[in-house]
Amino acid sequence: MKGKYYIQGLAAITPQHTFEGNLFSQPLVSTGSNVFAVTEPDYKTFIPANSLRRISRLLKMGLTTALKCMQDSGLSVPDAIVTGTGKGSLQDTERFLKDIRQYEERALNPTPFIQSTYNAVNGMIAVQQQVTTYNNTFVHRGFSFESALLDSMLLLEEGVSHTLTGAFDEISAEHFYIKSRIGHWKKEMVNSAELYNHLSPGTISGEGAVFFTLTAAPTAQSYARVAGLKMLYKPSLTALTTGLATFLSQYGLSAKDIDLVITGRNGDNNFEHYYRQLDLGLPQVSQLPFKHLCGEYETVGAFALWLGAHMLKAQQVPQQWFPMVSQFPATLNRILIYNHFFGDQHTFILLERTAAPAV
Amino acid sequence: MAERVFITGMGMITAIGDTVEANLGSLRQQQSGLGFTRYIDTIYKEVLPVAEVKHSTAELSTMAGVPNSPEYTRTTLLGLLAMQEALQQAGISDLQQEPTGFINASTVGGMCDTEKVYFDITDAEKEGDFLKYIDTLDCADCTQRIADTVGLTEYITTVSTACSSSANALMYGARLIKQGLLRRVICGGTEALTRFTLNGFNSLKNVDKRPCRPFDQQRNGLNLGEGAAYLVLESESLVRENNSVILAELSGYCNSNEAFHPTSPSPEGDGAFAAMKNALAMSGRSMADVQYVNVHGTATLNNDVSEGKALERLFGTQVPPFSSTKPFTGHTLAAAGAIEAIYAVLAIQHQVIFPNLNYSEKMEELSITPETRLLEQVPVNTVISNSFGFGGNNASLVISKYEG
Repeated sequence: MKGKYYIQGLAAITPQHTFEGNLFSQPLVSTGSNVFAVTEPDYKTFIPANSLRRISRLLKMGLTTALKCMQDSGLSVPDAIVTGTGKGSLQDTERFLKDIRQYEERALNPTPFIQSTYNAVNGMIAVQQQVTTYNNTFVHRGFSFESALLDSMLLLEEGVSHTLTGAFDEISAEHFYIKSRIGHWKKEMVNSAELYNHLSPGTISGEGAVFFTLTAAPTAQSYARVAGLKMLYKPSLTALTTGLATFLSQYGLSAKDIDLVITGRNGDNNFEHYYRQLDLGLPQVSQLPFKHLCGEYETVGAFALWLGAHMLKAQQVPQQWFPMVSQFPATLNRILIYNHFFGDQHTFILLERTAAPAV
Repeated sequence: MAERVFITGMGMITAIGDTVEANLGSLRQQQSGLGFTRYIDTIYKEVLPVAEVKHSTAELSTMAGVPNSPEYTRTTLLGLLAMQEALQQAGISDLQQEPTGFINASTVGGMCDTEKVYFDITDAEKEGDFLKYIDTLDCADCTQRIADTVGLTEYITTVSTACSSSANALMYGARLIKQGLLRRVICGGTEALTRFTLNGFNSLKNVDKRPCRPFDQQRNGLNLGEGAAYLVLESESLVRENNSVILAELSGYCNSNEAFHPTSPSPEGDGAFAAMKNALAMSGRSMADVQYVNVHGTATLNNDVSEGKALERLFGTQVPPFSSTKPFTGHTLAAAGAIEAIYAVLAIQHQVIFPNLNYSEKMEELSITPETRLLEQVPVNTVISNSFGFGGNNASLVISKYEG
């Protein structure tokens, strides 16, 4: 994919205060519980009260973020809605499983079943905005959002005007417990702001909803351009190094052309070696870890992209969010995002300033 | 100019057969796969017919060459068997020779097995082997286990758009080829029957206690089914290079949305109309070229009215023969699009149109009726295959005979 794709609008509901206001002046929110829940906005501004009562938490998060993103973009209804989610509406799945047991399969309320469908958020956005064109949902752990992003890039190449591209995942107490049984989370309680000082098995859990409006041409309002995307499935350390070098050289770049790397480091020493391998391939490039802001979940790549896009447009880092980082780059032309989900799905996203000078 | 996309291999397993050949045989013998479940633990065991694959999960694991592997769910095993056949039929022995993508589809992942142990998993008092199922809770698990077993490593992902999932997987794979990201992609879906889904559709009052009757005035809902199907898609240049045998061409496709209701289509079939119309336009074929439509035809009250109206709007008085094969296979949800895409290829390969079983009375809303006979030796060069799902998600594929 050699085309350029521009982020024209964006919105995020995350554990930080990201939905409204200027992110560069928002305080750092932290948690000591190993579960990072989103800071929920007032949904009533976006969803009528009678609908609000009927829909579950993830659907509210997803729909509201999508609507806010479209507002932010200033564009009319999108030509496509493409999303990624690792778990869909977890609370609905849990509820329907419990209802089946509790009511012994009789007289069940279908709502949790309907809302547990992975593409339920997409369907709601389509109804609300009357988007009758392309609609797709990817559900592949750490590739969910990135697959949606790739699909959107394909659509823009095929000539659509703009896409609404997003990701959403939630965590529940029950699911947090389930994943703790296979070692996803740290056994000791960690202050999220101190995450990187606690290298031990497991990480902290999180959630969030992030949407983007992507266009094929830039405007004065564009945040940044997505210049490249690569997904690597279960790479060896060697394949990761080769993958990074190939990815950069595909765009005529080398490590020195990258101003900043946003890394998915999460304090989990089971998988830290991948990030160390990346350090070797990108010596002397400034790094920003971000999982202390949102925790770990399948579609966390969307958070990283949101953060990178804001920084490229504003040409600054929200430094108050990064007390653990001592030096920040002076100019930001090119950001590389590298993330992986528990060692299986590895992703690179190359993000450029809209007016970045050519290399 | 974007490359053409050809189908060069197929594999499947459904209630009417463990292979493509066996499916064709059952279709020709008009042998339905519907019956009562042997493997789901439900109070509807002898009430709601389903189209279940006729092997226990243990038998499936032996058939797939991975015996005694409890972490391979029924969803994974159905998919693995279909994948193995597809690779074999396409003559692919070494996946490393050509970067090969894998676009899978699933609606509830490993729920078939996790629902049996879910309350043990959430119970801190309990320990045991069931903890192995935790990874199978999501839709990616089956995809990755299939990929890892056969050695697929590129562009692995999973689509979930309810009942249109695998049609969308095929579309996405074709687009990866057309834009030159890959020259070969294996696409399809896998679905195992679950108590979760059976209760879901039953709570919507969408499940018929009798064998389903698509496009019949007396139809009263769907029957669920299970199965898996994969199609090997290759670019024209790869086909030329390898001298691959071309089974058919995936000449057109379109995904459109009803934007109407979470679980119901629009009464006039706007989404179905747009999906078929645009897919046909992309294929470069005319209305008159379409000789068979394998309809979504779930036999729910809403689907058949809406899809029928869309056919009438698109084709006017010249609606081609159409049939739903759901009375054979049940509604296999995420696998349905790929299973029926294979039936479309079979229709072209064998110049046959499959009958719509269980039909007796014309729907009052429609002037058209489905093809109820098995038609042999009829010209079938272009087929439309429809898959429509929750969230208003409509997908139509156009599959054409390869004519150089």
